[in-house]
Amino acid sequence: MELTPSELDRVLIFNVAQLAKSRQERGLKLNKPEAVALISHAVIEAARDGNSHAQALQAGLSAISDSDLLPGVGSMLSGIAIEAVFDDGRRLVVVDFLTKDLDTPGKVTRLDQVIPIPAKDITEVTVINESKIQISVTTHMHFFEVNPRLKFNREATYGKHLFIPAGEHVDFPPGIPVDVELVPISGDRVMIGFAGLVDGPLDEPGMKERAIERARELGYLGTAK
Amino acid sequence: MSPLEIEQMQQDIAVHGARKGDFVRLGDTALVVRVEADDRELGNEVQIGFGKNLRDGIGMRSVSSSESCDVVVTNVLIIDALLGIRVSSIGIRAGRIHAIGRAGNPDTMDNIDVVVGSGSVIIPGEGLIATAGGIDTHVHAMTPRVCDAALASGVTTIIAQEFGPFWGVGVSSKWALEQAHNMYGAWPLNVGILGRAAGSTTSPLQEALAGGVCGFKIHEDTGAHPRTIDTTLNFADEHDIAVALHTDGLNEMLSVADTIDVIAGRAVHAFHVEGCGGGHSPDVLTMAGRENILASSTNPTLAYGINAADEHVAMIISAHGMNPELPSDVQMARNRVRNATMAAENRLHDMGVIPVTSSDALGMGRVDDTWRKTFAMASMFSDRAILDGSVAASEVIVENERVLRHVAKITINPALVHGLSHEVGAIKVGLMADIVLWPYSSFASKPNMIIKNGLPAWGVVGDPGATVANAQPLVIGPQFGAFGVTAEDLGVHFTNSDSEVSLSRRRSVSVRNTRTIRSSDMIRHGILGEIDVDPSGHVVTFNGQHITSDPQNAATLTRTYLI
Repeated sequence: MELTPSELDRVLIFNVAQLAKSRQERGLKLNKPEAVALISHAVIEAARDGNSHAQALQAGLSAISDSDLLPGVGSMLSGIAIEAVFDDGRRLVVVDFLTKDLDTPGKVTRLDQVIPIPAKDITEVTVINESKIQISVTTHMHFFEVNPRLKFNREATYGKHLFIPAGEHVDFPPGIPVDVELVPISGDRVMIGFAGLVDGPLDEPGMKERAIERARELGYLGTAK
Repeated sequence: MSPLEIEQMQQDIAVHGARKGDFVRLGDTALVVRVEADDRELGNEVQIGFGKNLRDGIGMRSVSSSESCDVVVTNVLIIDALLGIRVSSIGIRAGRIHAIGRAGNPDTMDNIDVVVGSGSVIIPGEGLIATAGGIDTHVHAMTPRVCDAALASGVTTIIAQEFGPFWGVGVSSKWALEQAHNMYGAWPLNVGILGRAAGSTTSPLQEALAGGVCGFKIHEDTGAHPRTIDTTLNFADEHDIAVALHTDGLNEMLSVADTIDVIAGRAVHAFHVEGCGGGHSPDVLTMAGRENILASSTNPTLAYGINAADEHVAMIISAHGMNPELPSDVQMARNRVRNATMAAENRLHDMGVIPVTSSDALGMGRVDDTWRKTFAMASMFSDRAILDGSVAASEVIVENERVLRHVAKITINPALVHGLSHEVGAIKVGLMADIVLWPYSSFASKPNMIIKNGLPAWGVVGDPGATVANAQPLVIGPQFGAFGVTAEDLGVHFTNSDSEVSLSRRRSVSVRNTRTIRSSDMIRHGILGEIDVDPSGHVVTFNGQHITSDPQNAATLTRTYLI
């Protein structure tokens, strides 16, 4: 058979799935590894039957139902990644089993909402993307140094970043004005790297003027005198 | 909260994990902890990935790792017996914990404790719990695979008594010990070996000491006589080395009171103090609760269950070279099995009297069950706190202290008892970065990653030919840290300061302060008192009060997770 390590892993899925099936036939409810094996097995076999990616995903989702499972198991069946051999090649299928089970192992309960980030020294600017493709900017990027094709009052954004939750971003579609809020960068306020417009302490005397001048020379929009 | 607010809250939990004040249920147990602190700054949480802020010049500082960290575990829920229950980041440099606290770049963020370098390895910890690596002080290493099973369960330090399917209960041959230290270099695991303290004279002890043992084991199967105990403890006092004791279960030469007298106030680690695992029958449990006797349990009697007594008779016969056809052997085995002492032992754990749990792997315990059984036991005594909607969240009983007490039993306390706490046992600056990451949903049952000396050594691995690292079938297996000479470098050899053994690669570390350690030093334990076991073995009291617990029909952390 010349089985590869990856193929041998399919055999492991098959074995556990058969074990799960035999237990299910005895009327038992399934635990987490049993349920994961049955879902994975269903996807792999659906692909083998010549079904499409969407059909295989559906086969995984419908391989089991809440009533087949031990309490709490349904909530642990998200993000099950399975590599199956489809007619057009090996493809990844990710199954998120939808459950109504509330008996969740590891559940996090939050009584009060997280208090929103306190607003401090907010700067508002309107940004227009003058290029032909979308530009996205993430939370902690030094806004002054973002893509030269974004037009806004750059000087007002010196030493500032977007005021949105960490890890999120703002999209700037071509030609559409977008209002954003910015807050000062904290810590020691040293900008190293980026576009090289600052590359040092933000608040050093003359630094801001030099950065604006550099940006202007390089054609950053929003820096014209 | 409005439906929108609830959705936002769930998104926030999914992205950032638990925050200060949140309640987290541990696995499928009844234990719910409340997060005591969060070192992150709201809005400045660092995250790694596409479109996130752990980037050069933003969350990462463009400096070498000697000015930042080699490895950073970010935004993880730490549950540590010393540190408490807090969300933080752990910075690691050259295998040791360098800093704990807020992670990021001090150029752009306030109050950074853990400097993330532009080249630092990032292990995202959101949604995961970090504990110190488990320490199992009672391992009969009868098969090399015991090391695999230990690592897969979140144990990073073992104190072994063998290195093969032979009678060890401690080994004293210097030649054999020298071979053994090298064998254990194959696993990214800290290993110490106990010498056999069966010597009425000090010659075998001296040889074991030179052979690099980290402690001694006195065992009734090779002699737990008064002279043996006294000789060993005298010798241990001279050389600062721990002594583990399995007492005379037959009461052949001495009863429990005599053993306590011979110990004469010196520090000793009383193995399986309940007695099923061996020792004075029926009253070895009376050794617990004393200042100089550091008591531990082995895991089959923990989370006291309805089948515990039945499994033990056969286990004793099989483990101790007895013959089930011999009525006298069967009787001896039966004498060791008492429901009342098991029920009381579990209660003594919850009370903070017995400070250590261990396995007795392959010699009447399961090496990969200590985390699971310790927390299944904690869950037994928990008030019903499951947040399933039937209990109003505001009425939830918070169990931080109980959880931290049980973490101590498998991390810092065994480290203290065996003189390892200058290297392992806690998530603490300066200690080796032996850290286990657990999903909230499978805490203490199945870990996600075992970090040994700062690198992933074991953990969940998937289909190796897949497009992503988490494709089924996910198994808990070796990671890169388990391969090559790296495995040898990531673990240490626990030894004594008079050892004559020098290893070519693996670092040797002498145990310390083993003779002055006392029960009152045990973290989140140290409750002392007089335990009495009725001669029938059916009634146990603590300071005159009857103590017991109910056998469980079903243990948590078990059926949900194991096939």
